[in-house]
Amino acid sequence: MKSAVTRFRVMAIICGVMSLLLWFVYMPGKYASNLVDDHKILISIPIVHGYLYMIYILTALQLSVQKKKSIYEMAWLILAGTLPVASLLAERKVVKQYS
Amino acid sequence: MKAMKIKRFFQGALVFLLVASFIQLGLWQMHRASDLKAAQAQAATIDSKIYALEDLAAPALALDSRSVGKIVKVQGHYIANFKAPNQIDKAGKRSDWEVALLQVGVTESNQSAILVLRGLWSERLLNPDVAQANLVTVQGIVQPHQNEDVAENSPSQISRLDSSVITSYTKVDLYDGFIVAKSESVAGSALERTRVVVPAPISKVAGYYWQHISYVVIWWLMAAISLFAPFYRRKTIQ
Repeated sequence: MKSAVTRFRVMAIICGVMSLLLWFVYMPGKYASNLVDDHKILISIPIVHGYLYMIYILTALQLSVQKKKSIYEMAWLILAGTLPVASLLAERKVVKQYS
Repeated sequence: MKAMKIKRFFQGALVFLLVASFIQLGLWQMHRASDLKAAQAQAATIDSKIYALEDLAAPALALDSRSVGKIVKVQGHYIANFKAPNQIDKAGKRSDWEVALLQVGVTESNQSAILVLRGLWSERLLNPDVAQANLVTVQGIVQPHQNEDVAENSPSQISRLDSSVITSYTKVDLYDGFIVAKSESVAGSALERTRVVVPAPISKVAGYYWQHISYVVIWWLMAAISLFAPFYRRKTIQ
Protein backbone atom coordinates (compact mmCIF):
# COMPACT_ATOMS: atom_id res chain seq x y z
CA MET A 1 0.00 0.00 0.00
CA LYS A 2 1.57 3.22 -1.20
CA SER A 3 -0.32 5.94 0.54
CA ALA A 4 -2.78 6.97 3.19
CA VAL A 5 -5.49 7.17 0.51
CA THR A 6 -4.95 3.55 -0.55
CA ARG A 7 -4.85 2.39 3.06
CA PHE A 8 -8.09 4.24 3.79
CA ARG A 9 -9.76 2.89 0.64
CA VAL A 10 -8.91 -0.72 1.49
CA MET A 11 -10.16 -0.37 5.06
CA ALA A 12 -13.30 1.52 3.98
CA ILE A 13 -14.26 -1.26 1.56
CA ILE A 14 -13.54 -4.01 4.11
CA CYS A 15 -15.40 -2.14 6.87
CA GLY A 16 -18.30 -1.42 4.51
CA VAL A 17 -18.67 -5.11 3.69
CA MET A 18 -18.37 -6.04 7.39
CA SER A 19 -20.99 -3.42 8.30
CA LEU A 20 -23.37 -4.82 5.71
CA LEU A 21 -22.83 -8.32 7.12
CA LEU A 22 -23.31 -7.01 10.66
CA TRP A 23 -26.52 -5.11 9.98
CA PHE A 24 -28.16 -7.41 7.46
CA VAL A 25 -26.91 -10.92 8.35
CA TYR A 26 -25.80 -11.00 11.99
CA MET A 27 -28.45 -8.68 13.55
CA PRO A 28 -31.50 -10.36 11.94
CA GLY A 29 -29.85 -13.74 12.53
CA LYS A 30 -29.48 -13.04 16.23
CA TYR A 31 -32.60 -11.05 17.07
CA ALA A 32 -35.18 -12.18 14.50
CA SER A 33 -34.26 -15.83 13.97
CA ASN A 34 -32.05 -18.65 15.30
CA LEU A 35 -29.51 -18.32 12.49
CA VAL A 36 -26.65 -17.36 14.83
CA ASP A 37 -27.48 -20.22 17.23
CA ASP A 38 -27.43 -22.69 14.34
CA HIS A 39 -24.35 -21.28 12.61
CA LYS A 40 -21.80 -20.36 15.28
CA ILE A 41 -19.39 -19.01 12.65
CA LEU A 42 -21.61 -15.90 12.42
CA ILE A 43 -20.47 -14.92 15.93
CA SER A 44 -17.19 -13.86 14.35
CA ILE A 45 -18.90 -11.03 12.38
CA PRO A 46 -19.25 -8.48 15.24
CA ILE A 47 -15.85 -9.46 16.66
CA VAL A 48 -14.01 -9.05 13.34
CA HIS A 49 -15.92 -5.83 12.61
CA GLY A 50 -14.84 -4.40 15.99
CA TYR A 51 -11.13 -4.96 15.35
CA LEU A 52 -11.26 -3.87 11.71
CA TYR A 53 -13.07 -0.69 12.70
CA MET A 54 -10.13 0.14 15.00
CA ILE A 55 -7.76 -0.07 12.02
CA TYR A 56 -10.25 1.88 9.90
CA ILE A 57 -10.24 4.71 12.47
CA LEU A 58 -6.43 4.89 12.33
CA THR A 59 -6.42 5.03 8.52
CA ALA A 60 -9.16 7.73 8.55
CA LEU A 61 -7.10 9.68 11.07
CA GLN A 62 -3.93 9.40 9.01
CA LEU A 63 -5.72 10.46 5.81
CA SER A 64 -7.34 13.44 7.58
CA VAL A 65 -4.04 14.65 9.06
CA GLN A 66 -2.09 14.18 5.82
CA LYS A 67 -4.70 15.90 3.66
CA LYS A 68 -5.36 18.59 6.28
CA LYS A 69 -9.07 17.89 6.42
CA SER A 70 -11.33 19.82 8.77
CA ILE A 71 -12.30 18.35 12.11
CA TYR A 72 -15.85 17.78 10.83
CA GLU A 73 -14.65 15.84 7.78
CA MET A 74 -12.42 13.80 10.07
CA ALA A 75 -15.40 13.00 12.35
CA TRP A 76 -17.53 12.05 9.33
CA LEU A 77 -14.83 9.71 7.98
CA ILE A 78 -14.48 8.04 11.40
CA LEU A 79 -18.22 7.64 11.96
CA ALA A 80 -18.77 6.38 8.39
CA GLY A 81 -17.23 3.06 9.47
CA THR A 82 -20.12 2.36 11.83
CA LEU A 83 -22.92 2.55 9.27
CA PRO A 84 -23.52 0.19 6.36
CA VAL A 85 -22.76 1.77 2.97
CA ALA A 86 -21.48 5.02 4.61
CA SER A 87 -17.84 3.91 4.53
CA LEU A 88 -18.27 2.82 0.91
CA LEU A 89 -19.66 6.29 0.10
CA ALA A 90 -16.73 7.87 1.98
CA GLU A 91 -14.33 5.75 -0.07
CA ARG A 92 -15.94 6.91 -3.33
CA LYS A 93 -15.72 10.54 -2.19
CA VAL A 94 -12.04 10.16 -1.31
CA VAL A 95 -11.34 8.55 -4.71
CA LYS A 96 -13.06 11.48 -6.44
CA GLN A 97 -11.05 14.01 -4.45
CA TYR A 98 -7.59 12.48 -4.79
CA SER A 99 -7.52 10.54 -8.04
CA MET B 1 -10.41 38.77 24.17
CA LYS B 2 -12.99 37.89 26.80
CA ALA B 3 -15.21 36.22 24.18
CA MET B 4 -12.20 34.19 23.06
CA LYS B 5 -11.58 33.05 26.63
CA ILE B 6 -15.23 32.04 27.07
CA LYS B 7 -15.07 30.14 23.76
CA ARG B 8 -11.90 28.36 24.89
CA PHE B 9 -13.53 27.49 28.19
CA PHE B 10 -16.56 25.90 26.51
CA GLN B 11 -14.32 24.08 24.03
CA GLY B 12 -12.28 22.72 26.91
CA ALA B 13 -15.43 21.70 28.77
CA LEU B 14 -16.76 19.94 25.66
CA VAL B 15 -13.50 18.07 25.14
CA PHE B 16 -13.44 17.10 28.82
CA LEU B 17 -17.04 15.85 28.62
CA LEU B 18 -16.34 13.83 25.49
CA VAL B 19 -13.13 12.31 26.86
CA ALA B 20 -14.79 11.45 30.18
CA SER B 21 -17.78 9.89 28.38
CA PHE B 22 -15.60 7.81 26.07
CA ILE B 23 -13.41 6.59 28.93
CA GLN B 24 -16.52 5.72 30.93
CA LEU B 25 -18.00 3.83 27.96
CA GLY B 26 -14.73 1.91 27.63
CA LEU B 27 -14.82 1.01 31.32
CA TRP B 28 -18.45 -0.08 30.98
CA GLN B 29 -17.53 -2.41 28.10
CA MET B 30 -14.61 -3.71 30.15
CA HIS B 31 -16.97 -4.58 33.02
CA ARG B 32 -19.32 -6.28 30.59
CA ALA B 33 -16.41 -8.34 29.23
CA SER B 34 -15.33 -9.39 32.73
CA ASP B 35 -18.95 -10.14 33.76
CA LEU B 36 -19.34 -12.30 30.67
CA LYS B 37 -16.10 -14.14 31.41
CA ALA B 38 -17.17 -14.69 35.03
CA ALA B 39 -20.57 -16.01 33.94
CA GLN B 40 -18.95 -18.42 31.46
CA ALA B 41 -16.47 -19.63 34.09
CA GLN B 42 -19.37 -20.05 36.53
CA ALA B 43 -21.31 -22.16 34.04
CA ALA B 44 -18.29 -24.39 33.46
CA THR B 45 -17.68 -25.04 37.17
CA ILE B 46 -19.61 -27.75 38.98
CA ASP B 47 -19.93 -26.79 42.63
CA SER B 48 -21.33 -29.56 44.82
CA LYS B 49 -21.04 -27.64 48.09
CA ILE B 50 -24.30 -26.96 49.91
CA TYR B 51 -24.60 -23.32 50.93
CA ALA B 52 -26.80 -21.46 53.37
CA LEU B 53 -29.06 -18.92 51.66
CA GLU B 54 -27.46 -16.03 53.58
CA ASP B 55 -24.09 -16.93 52.05
CA LEU B 56 -25.41 -16.50 48.53
CA ALA B 57 -28.03 -13.79 48.67
CA ALA B 58 -29.66 -11.11 50.77
CA PRO B 59 -33.28 -9.96 50.79
CA ALA B 60 -34.18 -6.95 48.66
CA LEU B 61 -30.84 -7.06 46.86
CA ALA B 62 -30.09 -8.17 43.32
CA LEU B 63 -28.87 -11.75 43.11
CA ASP B 64 -25.14 -11.98 42.45
CA SER B 65 -24.52 -13.83 39.17
CA ARG B 66 -21.89 -15.93 41.01
CA SER B 67 -24.65 -17.41 43.20
CA VAL B 68 -26.60 -18.76 40.24
CA GLY B 69 -26.52 -22.55 39.96
CA LYS B 70 -25.30 -23.05 43.54
CA ILE B 71 -26.95 -25.66 45.76
CA VAL B 72 -28.67 -24.15 48.75
CA LYS B 73 -30.32 -25.62 51.86
CA VAL B 74 -32.88 -23.50 53.63
CA GLN B 75 -35.55 -23.88 56.29
CA GLY B 76 -38.78 -21.95 56.60
CA HIS B 77 -42.54 -21.88 56.36
CA TYR B 78 -44.56 -21.72 53.17
CA ILE B 79 -46.75 -18.63 53.44
CA ALA B 80 -48.25 -18.45 49.96
CA ASN B 81 -48.75 -20.60 46.89
CA PHE B 82 -48.86 -19.50 43.27
CA LYS B 83 -49.56 -21.10 39.93
CA ALA B 84 -46.93 -20.31 37.31
CA PRO B 85 -48.62 -21.23 34.02
CA ASN B 86 -47.06 -21.92 30.60
CA GLN B 87 -43.55 -22.54 31.91
CA ILE B 88 -41.05 -24.46 29.81
CA ASP B 89 -38.66 -26.95 31.42
CA LYS B 90 -35.17 -27.94 30.27
CA ALA B 91 -36.57 -30.60 27.92
CA GLY B 92 -38.78 -27.97 26.26
CA LYS B 93 -42.01 -29.33 27.75
CA ARG B 94 -44.60 -26.69 28.60
CA SER B 95 -46.56 -27.11 31.85
CA ASP B 96 -47.95 -25.25 34.85
CA TRP B 97 -45.70 -25.12 37.88
CA GLU B 98 -46.35 -24.73 41.58
CA VAL B 99 -44.34 -21.93 43.15
CA ALA B 100 -44.48 -21.23 46.88
CA LEU B 101 -43.22 -18.36 48.94
CA LEU B 102 -40.96 -19.67 51.70
CA GLN B 103 -40.53 -17.37 54.67
CA VAL B 104 -36.98 -17.89 55.87
CA GLY B 105 -36.53 -14.98 58.24
CA VAL B 106 -38.97 -14.81 61.13
CA THR B 107 -37.30 -12.39 63.52
CA GLU B 108 -38.63 -8.86 63.83
CA SER B 109 -35.57 -7.40 62.16
CA ASN B 110 -35.42 -10.05 59.44
CA GLN B 111 -38.72 -10.96 57.83
CA SER B 112 -37.76 -12.33 54.48
CA ALA B 113 -38.97 -14.85 51.95
CA ILE B 114 -37.87 -16.48 48.72
CA LEU B 115 -39.79 -18.12 45.90
CA VAL B 116 -39.43 -21.88 45.66
CA LEU B 117 -40.32 -23.82 42.54
CA ARG B 118 -41.81 -26.93 44.17
CA GLY B 119 -42.87 -28.91 41.11
CA LEU B 120 -45.80 -29.42 38.79
CA TRP B 121 -49.06 -27.64 39.54
CA SER B 122 -50.94 -30.88 38.83
CA GLU B 123 -49.19 -32.49 41.82
CA ARG B 124 -49.90 -29.70 44.28
CA LEU B 125 -52.33 -31.88 46.29
CA LEU B 126 -49.84 -34.69 46.81
CA ASN B 127 -48.64 -33.27 50.14
CA PRO B 128 -51.71 -31.86 51.87
CA ASP B 129 -49.90 -32.20 55.20
CA VAL B 130 -47.61 -29.22 54.44
CA ALA B 131 -49.35 -26.46 56.35
CA GLN B 132 -48.03 -23.00 57.14
CA ALA B 133 -47.18 -24.20 60.67
CA ASN B 134 -44.77 -26.85 59.33
CA LEU B 135 -41.11 -26.07 59.21
CA VAL B 136 -39.98 -27.19 55.76
CA THR B 137 -36.41 -27.93 54.79
CA VAL B 138 -35.75 -27.26 51.12
CA GLN B 139 -32.65 -28.18 49.16
CA GLY B 140 -32.40 -26.84 45.66
CA ILE B 141 -30.59 -24.76 43.09
CA VAL B 142 -30.53 -20.97 43.03
CA GLN B 143 -31.74 -19.44 39.79
CA PRO B 144 -32.00 -15.82 38.61
CA HIS B 145 -35.47 -14.30 38.20
CA GLN B 146 -37.21 -14.66 34.87
CA ASN B 147 -37.61 -11.57 32.71
CA GLU B 148 -40.41 -12.46 30.33
CA ASP B 149 -44.08 -12.78 31.25
CA VAL B 150 -45.73 -15.97 30.03
CA ALA B 151 -49.12 -15.48 31.72
CA GLU B 152 -51.33 -12.94 33.45
CA ASN B 153 -50.68 -11.83 37.03
CA SER B 154 -53.32 -12.37 39.69
CA PRO B 155 -53.27 -12.99 43.46
CA SER B 156 -53.08 -16.75 42.87
CA GLN B 157 -51.02 -16.76 39.70
CA ILE B 158 -47.69 -15.26 38.71
CA SER B 159 -46.75 -14.18 35.22
CA ARG B 160 -43.10 -15.17 35.66
CA LEU B 161 -40.79 -16.53 38.36
CA ASP B 162 -39.77 -13.21 39.78
CA SER B 163 -40.35 -11.92 43.30
CA SER B 164 -40.99 -8.40 41.96
CA VAL B 165 -44.41 -9.51 40.64
CA ILE B 166 -45.64 -10.40 44.16
CA THR B 167 -44.35 -7.42 46.12
CA SER B 168 -47.89 -6.03 46.48
CA TYR B 169 -49.15 -9.23 48.12
CA THR B 170 -46.64 -9.45 50.96
CA LYS B 171 -44.93 -7.22 53.49
CA VAL B 172 -41.84 -9.39 53.98
CA ASP B 173 -38.55 -8.57 52.24
CA LEU B 174 -38.17 -10.71 49.16
CA TYR B 175 -35.05 -12.34 47.81
CA ASP B 176 -34.23 -11.85 44.16
CA GLY B 177 -34.27 -15.06 42.11
CA PHE B 178 -35.81 -18.34 43.17
CA ILE B 179 -34.89 -21.85 44.33
CA VAL B 180 -35.64 -24.87 42.18
CA ALA B 181 -36.45 -27.48 44.82
CA LYS B 182 -34.65 -30.80 44.46
CA SER B 183 -35.96 -32.13 47.76
CA GLU B 184 -38.28 -31.02 50.53
CA SER B 185 -38.72 -32.52 53.96
CA VAL B 186 -40.96 -31.89 56.95
CA ALA B 187 -39.80 -33.16 60.34
CA GLY B 188 -37.27 -35.43 58.66
CA SER B 189 -39.68 -37.11 56.23
CA ALA B 190 -39.16 -36.34 52.56
CA LEU B 191 -41.97 -35.03 50.38
CA GLU B 192 -42.12 -37.10 47.22
CA ARG B 193 -43.15 -35.43 43.97
CA THR B 194 -41.87 -34.82 40.45
CA ARG B 195 -39.22 -32.11 40.46
CA VAL B 196 -38.80 -29.69 37.61
CA VAL B 197 -35.52 -29.10 35.81
CA VAL B 198 -35.34 -25.53 34.52
CA PRO B 199 -33.41 -24.43 31.42
CA ALA B 200 -29.94 -22.99 32.01
CA PRO B 201 -30.19 -19.23 32.56
CA ILE B 202 -29.15 -17.01 29.67
CA SER B 203 -26.33 -14.62 30.48
CA LYS B 204 -27.59 -11.07 31.05
CA VAL B 205 -24.57 -9.74 29.18
CA ALA B 206 -25.09 -9.84 25.44
CA GLY B 207 -22.23 -10.34 23.01
CA TYR B 208 -18.86 -12.02 23.28
CA TYR B 209 -15.74 -11.40 25.32
CA TRP B 210 -13.42 -10.32 22.51
CA GLN B 211 -16.19 -8.21 20.98
CA HIS B 212 -16.43 -6.19 24.22
CA ILE B 213 -12.65 -5.89 24.41
CA SER B 214 -12.59 -4.44 20.87
CA TYR B 215 -15.23 -1.88 21.94
CA VAL B 216 -13.06 -0.94 24.95
CA VAL B 217 -10.19 -0.11 22.60
CA ILE B 218 -12.51 1.77 20.21
CA TRP B 219 -14.01 3.95 22.97
CA TRP B 220 -10.59 4.77 24.36
CA LEU B 221 -9.31 5.50 20.87
CA MET B 222 -12.24 7.93 20.50
CA ALA B 223 -11.20 9.52 23.83
CA ALA B 224 -7.65 9.94 22.52
CA ILE B 225 -8.94 11.48 19.27
CA SER B 226 -11.13 13.91 21.25
CA LEU B 227 -8.07 14.98 23.24
CA PHE B 228 -6.09 15.42 20.04
CA ALA B 229 -8.88 17.32 18.22
CA PRO B 230 -8.34 20.83 19.73
CA PHE B 231 -4.60 20.72 18.96
CA TYR B 232 -5.29 19.44 15.45
CA ARG B 233 -7.75 22.29 14.86
CA ARG B 234 -5.26 24.93 15.97
CA LYS B 235 -2.64 23.44 13.67
CA THR B 236 -5.08 23.62 10.75
CA ILE B 237 -5.96 27.25 11.53
CA GLN B 238 -2.26 28.19 11.72
